[in-house]
Amino acid sequence: MGPFASRRAVLAGGAASAVLPFLRAPRARAATPGVLTFGLSSFPPSIQPWANTGTAAATVKLMIYRGLTSYAEDGSLRGELAESWQTVGTTGWEFKLRDARFQNGEKVTSADVKWTIEQIAAERSTAYFRAEMQKVERVETPDDRTVRIIMANPVATLPVWMASYHLPIISRNSPRGSFVGAGPFVLKAQERGVSLELEGYEGFHRPGLPKLKRIRAIAYADENLRVAALRAGDVDLIEYVPWQAMDAITADQNLKLDTVDGAFMFLVFNGSRPPFNDARVRRAVAHAVRREDLVRAAFFGRGSPLMQLPVAESSAYYNAEFKEGWRYDPELSKRLLAEAGHANGISCSLLSTAQYGMHKDTAEVVQQHLAAVGIRAELNLPDWATRVQIGNRGQYDLAVMGTAADSNDPDGIANFIDGSLAPSYVRSYGLKIDRITELLAAGRAEFDQGKRREIYREMERVAIEQAPIAGLTWRSQGYAMRRQVTGFRNLPGALTFYSGLTFETADLA
Amino acid sequence: MLAFAARRLAVSLGLVWVVASLVFLVIHLIPGDPAELLLSQGGIAPDPAAVEDLRERLGLNQPLWTQYVAYMGGLLQGDFGLSLQDEHPIGEEIALRLPRTLELVGAAGVISLLFGLPLGVLAALRAGGMLDRALSAWAGLALSIPVFVVGTLTVLVLAQELRLVSAGGYVPLARDPARHLALLLMPAGTIAVGLGAVVFRVTRTAVLEVLERDHVRAAQARGVAPRTIIRRHVVRNALTPVVTVVALHLGSLLGGTVLVEFVFNWPGLSGYLVRAVEARDYPEVMGIVLVISALFVLLNFLVDLLYAVIDPRVRHG
Repeated sequence: MGPFASRRAVLAGGAASAVLPFLRAPRARAATPGVLTFGLSSFPPSIQPWANTGTAAATVKLMIYRGLTSYAEDGSLRGELAESWQTVGTTGWEFKLRDARFQNGEKVTSADVKWTIEQIAAERSTAYFRAEMQKVERVETPDDRTVRIIMANPVATLPVWMASYHLPIISRNSPRGSFVGAGPFVLKAQERGVSLELEGYEGFHRPGLPKLKRIRAIAYADENLRVAALRAGDVDLIEYVPWQAMDAITADQNLKLDTVDGAFMFLVFNGSRPPFNDARVRRAVAHAVRREDLVRAAFFGRGSPLMQLPVAESSAYYNAEFKEGWRYDPELSKRLLAEAGHANGISCSLLSTAQYGMHKDTAEVVQQHLAAVGIRAELNLPDWATRVQIGNRGQYDLAVMGTAADSNDPDGIANFIDGSLAPSYVRSYGLKIDRITELLAAGRAEFDQGKRREIYREMERVAIEQAPIAGLTWRSQGYAMRRQVTGFRNLPGALTFYSGLTFETADLA
Repeated sequence: MLAFAARRLAVSLGLVWVVASLVFLVIHLIPGDPAELLLSQGGIAPDPAAVEDLRERLGLNQPLWTQYVAYMGGLLQGDFGLSLQDEHPIGEEIALRLPRTLELVGAAGVISLLFGLPLGVLAALRAGGMLDRALSAWAGLALSIPVFVVGTLTVLVLAQELRLVSAGGYVPLARDPARHLALLLMPAGTIAVGLGAVVFRVTRTAVLEVLERDHVRAAQARGVAPRTIIRRHVVRNALTPVVTVVALHLGSLLGGTVLVEFVFNWPGLSGYLVRAVEARDYPEVMGIVLVISALFVLLNFLVDLLYAVIDPRVRHG
């Protein structure tokens, strides 16, 4: 059979279908100045103001809500809905409210603050600060602009708690099931799992802010697509810049990168059973890992070794003398193991997750270094949900963990080192070190900064000796944006996830 | 015929129930507690009392069989329940996302037919020639490249380097039809690379087989124009296996577009399913799997009916 005449038509048809994807698409981003498109790392499962539903949700909460206090660009604590605060008696704090309005137009009053605290402390509340707010003895509201929070015990860190994105003040007149805040942007619409539309709130209490008219937040779960969207001009700003893309973004003249060493990776132990109920074995682990290898392998060189407790160098409570407290020293590790009766090494499980590359890569490097000193760790890499459950139940020996502290105050790391708290995957299981718990409590109750510094210095000394956790690396936490974006800042240290605060000063030319 | 259809329908409904029950059991058996997860976001320790309260509020502290009966009871009334994460109605979310996945899969099917079919015919007509060998080599390559590689390369080259298209995303058709179509083409085209190669191969084989049939040779002997032979006698007869294979592939794509939806940020049903599993959102997982399996079963049911219409031996056998 000869060649049939349909050949040309066939080729044309094939070619036409092949070029379909090459059709030039209209640009994704609106060209309107003052309208910013933000690439979120995930769609917030919920933006309930007081629940902890992740960092993406926290960023959105910082657009919509505001607390009594917050953070300035340099990380210092500043007044937000409160213009000033001072201690009252031995256990109380008095906050003077500024003339601020909720997004429903009503004034922010002391009654709203009282109502908020009551909601958080309520019996069926799922608020992150429920336990803390249950320690509030009473809330006094002598007038609309004054609120006194009397705690059962002295709490020096209450103004820091009040800056948390999990503790915004909500209007007591919010319609049932919704929450009216006093933030710079109003949530106008959302398509679940896809995007959120926010509009600048004209009644925001800081004059001239917010500068942006609108923010469109689009969830890009794939980190590579998030970067591609930025480079293609679909979005103006992205969070959680993947480490492998940082060099390329830095080299791109149209973009700028803002990173801080804010979040950190560490190891937690099962202290309820041998061998990690022995501080010598925990220290052996802490001294066995060459952190530089971790920074290179897991974070493409974007981070720095962490050989002490994770308190940022910029913090007033940073202890430089412990900078190499858990330095890499394999010989010391072997000696400590031998002293603990494990001269022939030990076998254990090492829990991490395959769902997040940085957790998996960290576990693999740690495994190799532990093997070099005789600790044979078998990797367990389930998905994140399973990893959380295994961690909470203590069904592991050693586990990789990564997060950021609650604040740059040393009390912000209490969650990770206070073994007297309920079992949780974020801290070592069944490992109660009384002295650390005592010092944390003392630091929380001490109002004199000099004395607090001494308390936390002592606490870190004990921690280096006892290794309630083993610090591994600081990891760079980055935001990338087009050059036209101004006023958005990555806040220092542990406050990196509070950078959403600076959406109020952000602008797009 | 009616009795046959009724029998098949009963079997289909039974299958859906079995799938729903199996999924219910499996998702509850795998480790991971939704309440714990929901309150453990961002690597921070949840208050155990808050976790317990949430479990109670979500009904997760009830015995498994009680949860099962409640869920099945809801399903019988057409109620898929509420998401454990934000109490959003699951039925609404599925109704929103299913059409997007169907659209993606449908567009991929159309694109793959557009180039797979004519190239398959052409290769068969030039069997053994250079063009056939080149096209067959291309098909082998297209089939062997994982879909996420094609997707990632597409984004890298077209969006990131050439900046011809958006890097992905979704805009509703009603809001901006042109942009909707542009955003649909990349993920659909990515799926179509592999699917088109399948269509090409099946078409080529089918056409080669039909070309050898007596009625084609008879038509040639009668002096019928070659173009007419191809159009009327060859392609039409070769279409049956092609349509069957494409239909089967499209069916499997209903729940299998996860990677493409992920790479292109297409908010369809597959991505929804993955996120539901990650969050251990039991009612969401159940609802999505149920809908996908029901569509599969429905497809099979229709095919069974079609076979019965075509071949009476099926309904009597």
